[in-house]
Amino acid sequence: MTEQLAIQMKKITKVYPNGVMANKDVDFEVRKGEIHALMGENGAGKSTLVKMIFGMEQPTSGEIYVNGEHVHLTSPNVAISKGIGMVHQHFMLVPSLTVAENIVLGMVPTKSGVLIDFDKAIEITEEYSKRYNLVVDARAKVANIPVGMKQKVEILKALVRGAKILILDEPTAVLTTQETEELFKELVDLKNQGFTLIFISHKLNEIMEITDRMTILRGGKFMGVHETKDTNPEIISRLMVGRDVVLKVEKEPAQPTDAVLKVKNLEYVNVWGKKMLDNVSFTLRKGEILGIAGVEGNGQKELVDAIFNFIDVDSGEILLNGESILHTNQANLRKKGISLVPEDRMLFGIAAKASIKENILSDRSGDPKYNNGVLFNMKAIEDDTKQLIKDYLIRCKSPEQEVGMLSGGNIQKVVVAREFTNDPVLIIADQPTRGIDVGATEFIRKKLVELSRSGIAVLLVSADLNEVMELSDSLIVMCGGEIAAYFEDTTDLDDMEMGKYMLGLAKQDEEQIRKVRHE
Amino acid sequence: MGFFEFVFTVEFFFSIIRITAPIIFATLAAIICQKGGVSNIGLEGTMMMSALFGSLFAYYSGSWIVGVLVAIITGIIVSLGIAFFAFNLRTNIILAGTAVNMIGSGGTIFLVKVITGMTEGNQLTSTNGLISTRLQIPVINIPILKDIPLIGGVLSGHSLLTYLAFVLVFLTWALLYKTPIGLNIRSVGENPNAASSVGVSVIKIKYTVLIIGGILAGLGGAFMSMYYSMGWSQDMVAGRGFIALAATAMGGGEPLGGLLAALIFGFAQALSIKASAVGIDSNLVSPIPYLVTIIGLVVFAIVAREKAKKPHKVKESA
Amino acid sequence: MNKKRALTFSITRTVAAIFIAILVATLLIFVSSKGNTVGAKFSETLVALRAMLIGPLFRNNGSFNTKGFLEILALMVPIMLTGLATTVMFSANQFNLGSEGGIMFGAFITALIAIYTPLPPVILPIVSILGGSFATMLLLMVPAVLKAKLGVSEMVNSLMINYIVMYIINFLLNTRFMDRTKGQVQTLNFQEHALLPQLVGRGTKLSLGLVIALVVVAIVATVMYRTRWGYNIRMIGQNEDFSKYSGINVPFYIILAQGLGGFLAGMGGSLEMLGRYTAYDWKSLPGYGWTGVTVAILAGNNPAYVPLAAFFMAYLDKGCEMMSTYSSVPAQLIDIIQAVIFLFFAADNFLAGYRQKLVIKSAEEDAKAANEVQVEGGK
Repeated sequence: MTEQLAIQMKKITKVYPNGVMANKDVDFEVRKGEIHALMGENGAGKSTLVKMIFGMEQPTSGEIYVNGEHVHLTSPNVAISKGIGMVHQHFMLVPSLTVAENIVLGMVPTKSGVLIDFDKAIEITEEYSKRYNLVVDARAKVANIPVGMKQKVEILKALVRGAKILILDEPTAVLTTQETEELFKELVDLKNQGFTLIFISHKLNEIMEITDRMTILRGGKFMGVHETKDTNPEIISRLMVGRDVVLKVEKEPAQPTDAVLKVKNLEYVNVWGKKMLDNVSFTLRKGEILGIAGVEGNGQKELVDAIFNFIDVDSGEILLNGESILHTNQANLRKKGISLVPEDRMLFGIAAKASIKENILSDRSGDPKYNNGVLFNMKAIEDDTKQLIKDYLIRCKSPEQEVGMLSGGNIQKVVVAREFTNDPVLIIADQPTRGIDVGATEFIRKKLVELSRSGIAVLLVSADLNEVMELSDSLIVMCGGEIAAYFEDTTDLDDMEMGKYMLGLAKQDEEQIRKVRHE
Repeated sequence: MGFFEFVFTVEFFFSIIRITAPIIFATLAAIICQKGGVSNIGLEGTMMMSALFGSLFAYYSGSWIVGVLVAIITGIIVSLGIAFFAFNLRTNIILAGTAVNMIGSGGTIFLVKVITGMTEGNQLTSTNGLISTRLQIPVINIPILKDIPLIGGVLSGHSLLTYLAFVLVFLTWALLYKTPIGLNIRSVGENPNAASSVGVSVIKIKYTVLIIGGILAGLGGAFMSMYYSMGWSQDMVAGRGFIALAATAMGGGEPLGGLLAALIFGFAQALSIKASAVGIDSNLVSPIPYLVTIIGLVVFAIVAREKAKKPHKVKESA
Repeated sequence: MNKKRALTFSITRTVAAIFIAILVATLLIFVSSKGNTVGAKFSETLVALRAMLIGPLFRNNGSFNTKGFLEILALMVPIMLTGLATTVMFSANQFNLGSEGGIMFGAFITALIAIYTPLPPVILPIVSILGGSFATMLLLMVPAVLKAKLGVSEMVNSLMINYIVMYIINFLLNTRFMDRTKGQVQTLNFQEHALLPQLVGRGTKLSLGLVIALVVVAIVATVMYRTRWGYNIRMIGQNEDFSKYSGINVPFYIILAQGLGGFLAGMGGSLEMLGRYTAYDWKSLPGYGWTGVTVAILAGNNPAYVPLAAFFMAYLDKGCEMMSTYSSVPAQLIDIIQAVIFLFFAADNFLAGYRQKLVIKSAEEDAKAANEVQVEGGK
């Protein structure tokens, strides 16, 4: 029996040095030559499990078998030597090196053993590229190639190293629909050539489309393994979250009033000379959620950075309640009532080693409520933090606990607890639920709707199409730094149509786009 | 005699090269470490220890070659220590470097006293006098070149290690850009996750850059105690290990840029020596190289900032 | 990990680091001690160790060494202040290593004021101390401003400033301010009424400076943990991007932290001068700045622990001095001991295996208590 198994993990438990138990007695088996999905919510322990297969983490207890052989995968090197390859969610590429250099990194061909044989590196790259029909430009610098090609470079990297078992960690997260389809074709090709593929994804429809079997994890524990053809999305989602997923958010129709944020003719060229904002104009009104959809990297980040003064735009205007806020520092932006739930919560949203209390305090340390001019009022700070922990259902031991020790969802709740409670007139929510569990996601979405209905203007930027369509009252699609489409009403939007605008296959006429200015 | 004729003599340019050499060793060490993602601020202390052991072993063995080898080995051992604490025990690398500098300044005095038996009574904590001309790193007169007027006087007649320093600039560049290990070093410095995902051991590479840095700092230390001065003395490295960090920043982290930056310091120091030769208080001219370092870093930062803005501006006007 | 376990761990770790340092010291002492036989070396080692570890507090006959104790307290003053200076600057993640030059600068400026300013008693020492402190504040703000405005490494610049300060002071001392009636290079004597009152006899040189230093510790601890300025300094140290995003004026606090550090380092020099000297005669950097770095590390960058760490370092310093008096082992051994303690103490992974065991124990208990596993993805 075991000969048929490419990977077999028995009773795997993993406790991280910070005390988080990521896996508990997990059994995981992958047959040779299948595409096997590993499913679960964020934080279910999927990433940890595959990191152990690739030797990046070691199990606290349990056994791993590769092709029937009991192995100790102490480093990626060992895993590679056992024929295991991994395509990481965040690309593991060195931007300043060429595609070929990246592919041969760690196994560089040499001339007379000393100098790098650059020609040979290109030859190897092109040979594998041809053999597996994965088209890349061997001589291009990785910094300059598109995302889809970067992924192919990653797959080639694994294949060149003789991988027979390929782990793909959320490979479609960064791809367009077209790129995803291309990838699936390539994966099925690889399967037909005898490769074993382990595929991590949240997207049920993708899983149903290409996998043979799936293993489901919940809360770090094994929840069963299923033949894909014998199951359906409802069963899987119930196993994943332990209850039926509520995708719908209840909300009353918006009744927008006065303009809060006016963006006019914003232009920005980044340091590499790429135009990231191209004549962007829109108006956001009190009491509405304006969504900004688009494939990542189409100017959404720059738009948020421009409003929050992290970049200097080249031209254009940004007005808050009729007053220009260009070049206003963050302290004053916050005083004027702008809140931001940042895209990268670990980098901008929190200080990981500081306590929950200190993280809540960061934007209000000068508040007279917490200050007598010189000294802090420690009791007021403590009490308010406790209240927020209660109101925002933050699961923690005490207000003194280090934020970095919390789970992703709870960290994000700390961020929103701060950003939603400083009397904002405008909330910018940039990818507010990325990578967090369903419970926290639902909570934050409901809060956003609630706040908007209480008269706050909400700008929602999200790459999650479901989220942005579900939550927004009206919607902008950005593509190539421009506004490609504006939908005043999101109730009967079609995602295929949205896709066209997002990918630049279509653009609305000026007339329609101008409507978003509400002039 | 005019000012320029007085200052810019053959000896002056000769001294620039002589003074620049140890800074080059330290700067190359700092560059290699930085490329591998390691900020090694312990170069100062490493050089102090290499200088000490190099001179002592040269004296005891009666051979300058043994002295240089021991200096190199000392550099390697100290760097391994930094690496062990920084990467295995996860001491902040800045603090690990600081500890090495502490040992380099006070600890070397302890060692000198213990090894040579010199006591507190003996005022000089130095091994000056141990290194005789015979034990000095040999000077090389380059045939033909040495007979060319002016240029010969400037470029010929330097020590073996002086020439080695300049050759190493090129070798360091080749190592970084033309060899597999260089590719690994750059990838570890730029994206350690990428490197480890293909089985390049990040920790091994970091050890490697520190060891190479140790060899270079060892050569710099040997240069200081076995050629520049005739023996080891307290705080003799005098901040060159730190100046190297500044030179690395100013040189954009590249060997050639580092060479140019090192030459600027060499020039500043040669000038200060010249100034004290004409009777200007040495305390007034000694700080010049340190002041030049600060000014250099500031100018570099301003230039870098303007540069960063440029492509942006070009597009704007286009 | 719960609080009790965390405390157990940090105490174990401290003790272990100190134990290793003493072990290394013993080895070095053994190697360096005089004696032709192993036995002779061994007994010399014991003499040296006794002098170093017990000597500062107990005489050979077992009686309490009051003088030694008072000297340790006196020695604590400058390193408490450089320790505080480093604590504040490191808390802001600013690796400004200028407290070495800073303490020398503060001492010199204070000396000049104390010699030449015609001010009445009480006012003179206060003005001298504040003068030295503020002048040093401005000095260390140079690398701070360059960092905040141009992003230049404060570390390299502060190191350069140390050298510059040393040479310029020597220049001034040799030329303008030397007392030519004395056999050695020093300034004129301070005005009598500039000196700080002594707490005990003049012999131990334990002055009011200790009380001032302890008050400053309390003030700095309060500022760092009970005011928004200290909070903001700590936050920019934890995560600069987060601080900027939160509306904290990052450049201002980069400068404030280092200015405050400079003020404290300078005050260390001032108290040292007026408490223990009658004229300025430092010709090289005093080393207190580096000891201050060690103190800050031992105190875990927490001002409240600075006196304890400073006491420990002062004790060791005194011990090494005693050792070199009573045996043939040079006093500079302290630099090596200091480095060893420092290296292990700052090592995150030192005894990591032991910590991991405690963590797992806690995690299992938590899991049991909650009756369900707490889970998180492995980001």
